[in-house]
Amino acid sequence: MKPLPKFKYHAPSTVEEALYLLATLDEAEPVAGGTDLVPLMRDAACSPSNLVDLNNVAELNYVREDSGYICIGATATHAQVASSPIAAKAPALVDAVSGIGSPQVRNRATIAGNLCNASPAADSAPPLLVHEAEVAIRSLKGTRIIPLEELFAGPKLNTLEPDELVTEVRLPAPPEGAGSSFKRIGRRKAFTLSVVSAAAYVELSGGEITEARLAFGSVAETPIRTRAVEELLRGKALTGGLLDKAAESVKAEVSPITDVRGTAEYRRDMCGVLLRRALAEAAERAR
Amino acid sequence: MEYDKILEMLGRKEFLVVGKNVTRSDALDKVLGKARYTADYVPRGTTLLKVYRSSIPHGIIKRIELDEALRVPGVEGIYTGADVTGSNQIGYALPDQPFLNDVKVHYAGDPVALICARDEYALEAASEKIHVEYEELPPVLDVDASLAEDAPLVHDGGNVAVTTRIRKGDAEKGFREADVEVSDTYWSPYQEHMYLETEAAYAVPERDKVTVICNGQSPFLIREKVAHIMGWDLNQVRIIQALTGGGFGGKDDQGPLVAAYAAFAAHKLGRPVAHVWSRDESVKFSNKRFPARIRYRSGANSEGRVTSIEVDITLECGAYANRSPFWLWRQTAHAAGPYEVHNCSIDGRAVYTTKVYGGSFRGFGDMALHFAAESQMDKLSYKLGMDPIDFRLRNVLVEGGRTTCDQVLDHSVGIKECLEAVRDASDWASHREPVRDGSKVRGYGVGLAYHGISTSRSTPDWSAASLIMNPDGSVTYRTGIVEIGQGSPFGHAKIVAEIIGVDPAAIRIELPDTDSTLDAKPTHGSRGLMLGGTAAAKAALKLRESMVACAAELLEVPSGRIDLAEGRAFDRENPGTGISVRELAEEMYVRGYDPAVHGFFKAPERFFDPETGLGVNYSVYTFAATVAEVEVDTETGEAAVLRVWPAMDCGKAIDPLMVEGQIEGAVSQGMGLVLMENIELKAGHVINPGFKDYVVPSSMDTPQIEPVIIVEKPYRYGAFGAKGVGEPAIISVVPTITNAIHHATGIRFNELPIRPWTIHKALKEAGN
Amino acid sequence: MRVNFGLNGAPVTVDAEPYTSLVDMLRDELDAKSVKKGCEQGECGACTVLLDGSPVASCLVLAPQVEGRYVTTLEGLEKNSLMIDLREAFMENGAVQCGFCTPGMLISAYALLRDNPHPTEREVKRGIEGNICRCTGFTKILEAILDAAERIAPE
Repeated sequence: MKPLPKFKYHAPSTVEEALYLLATLDEAEPVAGGTDLVPLMRDAACSPSNLVDLNNVAELNYVREDSGYICIGATATHAQVASSPIAAKAPALVDAVSGIGSPQVRNRATIAGNLCNASPAADSAPPLLVHEAEVAIRSLKGTRIIPLEELFAGPKLNTLEPDELVTEVRLPAPPEGAGSSFKRIGRRKAFTLSVVSAAAYVELSGGEITEARLAFGSVAETPIRTRAVEELLRGKALTGGLLDKAAESVKAEVSPITDVRGTAEYRRDMCGVLLRRALAEAAERAR
Repeated sequence: MEYDKILEMLGRKEFLVVGKNVTRSDALDKVLGKARYTADYVPRGTTLLKVYRSSIPHGIIKRIELDEALRVPGVEGIYTGADVTGSNQIGYALPDQPFLNDVKVHYAGDPVALICARDEYALEAASEKIHVEYEELPPVLDVDASLAEDAPLVHDGGNVAVTTRIRKGDAEKGFREADVEVSDTYWSPYQEHMYLETEAAYAVPERDKVTVICNGQSPFLIREKVAHIMGWDLNQVRIIQALTGGGFGGKDDQGPLVAAYAAFAAHKLGRPVAHVWSRDESVKFSNKRFPARIRYRSGANSEGRVTSIEVDITLECGAYANRSPFWLWRQTAHAAGPYEVHNCSIDGRAVYTTKVYGGSFRGFGDMALHFAAESQMDKLSYKLGMDPIDFRLRNVLVEGGRTTCDQVLDHSVGIKECLEAVRDASDWASHREPVRDGSKVRGYGVGLAYHGISTSRSTPDWSAASLIMNPDGSVTYRTGIVEIGQGSPFGHAKIVAEIIGVDPAAIRIELPDTDSTLDAKPTHGSRGLMLGGTAAAKAALKLRESMVACAAELLEVPSGRIDLAEGRAFDRENPGTGISVRELAEEMYVRGYDPAVHGFFKAPERFFDPETGLGVNYSVYTFAATVAEVEVDTETGEAAVLRVWPAMDCGKAIDPLMVEGQIEGAVSQGMGLVLMENIELKAGHVINPGFKDYVVPSSMDTPQIEPVIIVEKPYRYGAFGAKGVGEPAIISVVPTITNAIHHATGIRFNELPIRPWTIHKALKEAGN
Repeated sequence: MRVNFGLNGAPVTVDAEPYTSLVDMLRDELDAKSVKKGCEQGECGACTVLLDGSPVASCLVLAPQVEGRYVTTLEGLEKNSLMIDLREAFMENGAVQCGFCTPGMLISAYALLRDNPHPTEREVKRGIEGNICRCTGFTKILEAILDAAERIAPE
């Protein structure tokens, strides 16, 4: 069978130590669940000389609420987030992570890893984008906090420097009257990559949409927000006519490709379908 | 002898174990995790073998440079075609497949060299250091390109490997008598077996012998091929079949290759060699289900009788003919489906391309064929304005009916009963209108199938089995039929248990070992239980004769009064007078009654004319009918199979639970081909070599399978009347689902797979 | 490097390279042959083991990552009463065909019923969604797990 490339293994117990290792070792990669990294390594698509395992860094494993934010530590797994009453305040996120991979994957894979892997198909990304998540990035030089969107540079490319580590993903705890939803289409009903995914977030006041955010996966080089459509929705009543218009407009804002998982045309059309479904459910939850 | 009448022969009215659900004897090891598969036998530190394969789809080998690779630390040997001492030819039907290619490569993945090394790292490093210089030839990537006038030749002798033909009645006259006609072209693609256990072999050499533990489907074919490559006699090769993690036909084709690589390298190297494929290798390089394009024209009259069919089959072999002559013939011979059609004109050709080659896969040609034939039947019924089931009932084969090959079916024909049973069970009549619920719409479809069991064209067919009654009354059973999940050997044990009156658990089934097991021919063609079980019955009847004679002597009653049941031999007229099998067994040795027997069963040969393609083609057919309810999301194009009603005429269900298991597994695998599975190629290279992008059904995709309806029309030459189940189970699934998708959406899909984007596009174009 | 961990209730120490996967370490160094290799990409479930009680794909876990942790394979659950119920239900319901997915399937089923002794059919389907079976079509496996749930003695 296929061997893993040879590497040196490091298991720091503090963030400081991890940052030091990333800063000083050649070709070092952080690893948590390994559910993306190990297959890549086996396919020789990634051959780091050093692996920095974050699993022993206790301070990175949490899902907690802090100063109005839902904060997810770098080693919090999908399973942890899926069962967290705090994360439940962002239902789109819980929907998404509950369906990523299988129990075996969710018990190991982390939100931070899913995001850093920067796959356009990462299911955790669209919900976090609509919840306006931020990413805390640390290195020995300090900490910077960027909007999630700025983490993605392209397919399987992130904007991290080699010495940087995502230590936390955080999103504002949604206010009353907010709702979110995540919808996906796969090639089978479970344990499969999304062909298209969509997340919607709305805040309703009376019958009016006071805030709307939409994000999609697998329809561009990175997971994306569709801001023109969001603008179209804001300040309006959620009517069938508005949904039709939004579902049609979104197709102009995405740029999918054809690959083994689906055609460009299909993905484009599905953005409209999933937009309707996600918006409807988000609005339902907001009420 | 009428093997379906064994029970009467035994003088018994009730079965002891046959027809009842009995926990299979291999299950305990499997649930304990103690079942050993090939890779589990490999000791630590064994030399590993990897096949070095061509990186291009088509080219002449100019030079193979090994020096640098041989210097890689840990490399123990590298062998090419030049090292082969026997024959460098391993083609199955035609001599077109080199064991190690040294002249030309025919697909991206063609074996060129065998690397032996102490670990995987050395294997990988050596692979990088082998240099093959090719003169590249233009690839041939589809059947049309292959058939084009100036197409590059994949093999000398032309790109058509084989042709088939049947002319029965007068097809043109039949079309003149038709009131409606339907013509369409159907495409059925590659399918990958995706057995959970990959191909593997572990070879241990002696001076002039080699023993291979491996996971094929025919130890005797493997032995023959290994001996052929080595230039040895058959008794110099010992093949032991380990428990096998799924076969579905794929390991029938790959088994000989994998074993031969390991055996050859182990002999050259003079030490044991392990050869275990990665999933990536298994998906990229093992044979797939042969793709096929079927042009099908059929006509029917206003009374609802099919008057004529004209079928043109183009099978894509890929790089090698492999099993294509048999596959293509099966499609040709079954072309009319399980119906009586008097006028048939059928032509087939198998065509080479420079892609991974096709080969055996459950259904063996009949899936693609029935997809076409049953789509046509559905279309004809709609065109006639008749109910699809009523229309089929007017045409199905009945006793005395004639198949496509003009074979008269004198017994064991249960398709009508199957169809009526699924019609009634599914309450078909009340589901003739699709039901819409929001964006979703549900429809019902029906599909039929028949499948000739074992080998075609009345070619000689046999099986063998042996039994030893040990002095303590325990029984050792040997069969060359292999355990690949289907459970045939346990079915044999039940047949034996029924005949000699012992608990099946008292019968130990040994692994097939060509040094001590008789040649039972392959475990394919759904013949494992039918042929293998009849040989087991013959052996058991012989053993019973010894047991009865010995018991008669001991109990001092006429042998005609002795019965064997529940581990005892006893006087039927005085059941209290008896002796335990344990005591009887010891007495058999003491008194000179042969405690070791073998059964050799040869299937009856009958007339077949290879010129016209007419005559007795298969000894018997298994029949199946299914109804399915399918739901299509008209917005997303996602289709889901919700419920399935299966029925099968399997002659006699030796173990109903296992029949159900075969059918349920087949529903999943057939559904996979229709809705999701697809091998993707780019310039001749497979680009989705794993479970991630070669998607197979998961637990979440499992439909509700309604109680399996078993129809029993016994087969005269099958033990207790049993016919094969494994393959027939999958064939009707495909058209059932596609016909249900049509019923739901009004759209016919003539190409598989039918994925969400295909349905969505079609609905969009239809103005949905 | 030396890896110390608990395997099936007993402490073990293995000298393994860090780039050894857990499945290889278990099979090659510790003879836990119930753990099967089906894909080495975390996509089939045949290598499922419990890591600190949770099902994981052991082909995606690196040997040193189990340092100080607990690994359970089918070998370690031989006398476990829930596993005995599951085994019997699998055998009696015809849930075993080729058997190659069976150890991983039983581990997932065990974790499911341990945490949720009376699951719905949908919950059972979700519990084993990471375990591919190519033989049975899952029907008899689902029936077996639901049957095992009924056998669990009420507390």
